[in-house]
Amino acid sequence: MTEQSNYDYLFKIVLIGDSGVGKSNLLSRFTRNEFNNDSKSTIGVEFATRSINVDGKTVKAQIWDTAGQERYRAITAAYYRGAVGALLVYDIAKQATYASVTRWLKELRDHADSNIVITLVGNKSDLKHLRSVPTEEAKNFSTENGLSFIETSAMDASNVEAAFQNILTDIYRIVSNRALESSSEPAIQPSGGQTITVSPSVDAATGKSGCC
Amino acid sequence: MSSHPSRKGSKSASPPSLTNRITGGANTLSRERSVRTNRKFDKFNDCLLKPDINMSDLRSFAWSGIPSELRPIVWPILLGYLPLNSTTRNQTLIRKRAEYAELVRLAFARGREGLEFAVWHQIEIDVPRTRPGVQLWMEAATQRSLERILYVWAIRHPASGYVQGINDLVTPFYQTFLSAYIVSDPEIFDPGLLSPEVLNAIEADTFWCLSRLLDGIQDNYINAQPGIHRSVKKMKDLVKKINAPLVKHLDEEGVEFMQFAFRWMNCLLMRELSVKNIIRMWDTYMVCRKDAFSEFHLYVCSAFLLTWKDELQAMDFQGIIMFLQSLPTANWTNHEIELLLSGAFVLHSTWHNAPGHLGGS
Ligand SMILES: Nc1nc2c(ncn2[C@@H]2O[C@H](COP(=O)(O)OP(=O)(O)OP(=O)(O)O)[C@@H](O)[C@H]2O)c(=O)[nH]1
Ligand SMILES: [Mg+2]
Repeated sequence: MTEQSNYDYLFKIVLIGDSGVGKSNLLSRFTRNEFNNDSKSTIGVEFATRSINVDGKTVKAQIWDTAGQERYRAITAAYYRGAVGALLVYDIAKQATYASVTRWLKELRDHADSNIVITLVGNKSDLKHLRSVPTEEAKNFSTENGLSFIETSAMDASNVEAAFQNILTDIYRIVSNRALESSSEPAIQPSGGQTITVSPSVDAATGKSGCC
Repeated sequence: MSSHPSRKGSKSASPPSLTNRITGGANTLSRERSVRTNRKFDKFNDCLLKPDINMSDLRSFAWSGIPSELRPIVWPILLGYLPLNSTTRNQTLIRKRAEYAELVRLAFARGREGLEFAVWHQIEIDVPRTRPGVQLWMEAATQRSLERILYVWAIRHPASGYVQGINDLVTPFYQTFLSAYIVSDPEIFDPGLLSPEVLNAIEADTFWCLSRLLDGIQDNYINAQPGIHRSVKKMKDLVKKINAPLVKHLDEEGVEFMQFAFRWMNCLLMRELSVKNIIRMWDTYMVCRKDAFSEFHLYVCSAFLLTWKDELQAMDFQGIIMFLQSLPTANWTNHEIELLLSGAFVLHSTWHNAPGHLGGS
């Protein structure tokens, strides 16, 4: 039906963050190059994919866009399982959505793989005149917490491509390094390195890894 | 943009009345109306004109769809918002509308600072994202109405509060009640052109009917949403009974019912079907007992899924998820909805009380 195994790696990524920060628009910008000023709220989860090239390999991202409202936390948390990357999104014009970031990190700690690669994404960078979260502050916070950081605008498309490209590249490097290390020195495992579950496996490719 | 409103029933008789749409005969109807539709309208009309409406008559007429002119009066009666007895109906309307106006006054009495922040905040985010692109819902007057309805409902139901998706459920009611006062298409109308009194009447009637509907499905919106989990599980069990190979295929592909049916339950299929489709569907839902929006709905969802059993069988995980996420229902008319409803009805009669299966809850 759809693209079969015309990719080398399949990575499951989740989009999380408060309601209204622009998760669905980041996804539609990345997968369809569309921005919708009047998108509907996400109920539960929505799904999309796109393949990109990393170091000559085709990496397919299977992206789950989750609902931001607190009430949906129970259902959306089920989708963290098996995810190798998370884009944690806040709105640079809404301080409260940035304040929630620690709560979202805790969600990930509680429900996601401990090795999950996380990028903090300050979205709506086009709203310069309304900025309430200084870039430096978010950057420092990211460094302290071992996160990557980027500011994007789903509206004018700036950095959206980069946000996804970077996280997929990071994951690719980790996965391929691990493969390398474990094949050359099978006795030595990178600490906790086994937990990145989504590698080029048939199971993951057909969704058999399952969610929730 | 919107044409000037030609108001109906605005003979300054108070209260703004839903009931003055009932006529002594079919003479007010447009000539294009088919004989068959006329007869149906007459039957309805006669039923509604009785001083004491016979509920089972009304139900049996409404099952197969309510004429749109009569829907604003029939829905409230079916939902129990308005009494069957015509002599008390106007008093009820006056009382309930005043009561709603008072609830609004109290809720907003202390200005923005007095609002429950988290609730208000989510409503503010969602109101502009309700039926985006449809003129009615982009008008400031409609959006203010929607905010009040959602906020007042939320603070009166603290166990659930406002949950995303409830905003969608307001729209069929609001459009239906608005249609009682105008001749043009509600979707291109600006309610800001109406008198405050009429606007309050539309809002109040919407609020009380929405409340009735939500009373039956509160479990869908409280913490952890147990009602939805229960319905989705029942739906999977039911579909498995009817079409085991389909469920086997979904299982093998790693597709979970929660991945698509969660939204079907949470928004009562409003994200899958047009508002016109939903309005027709609700005619039938309202005829059933109070649990139609939970119990009968899961049979509708099952029939809905089975509509695409052949397509789904041929798809893989990604294909299935993408397909179910944007189903090709854009051209669905009453015809498809009626097929869906009768399919669900058959499933319901076959399986609802089947021993050891799905019976009760
Ligand atoms: N100015 C600006 N607006 C944006 C941007 N991204 C999204 N928006 C707007 O923000 C609103 C919310 O966007 P969504 O993508 O629906 O937000 P979400 O995070 O998916 O929200 P939930 O589904 O409720 O969790 C919409 O009105 C978008 O048009 C952006 O980069 N710049
Ligand atoms: Mg969204």
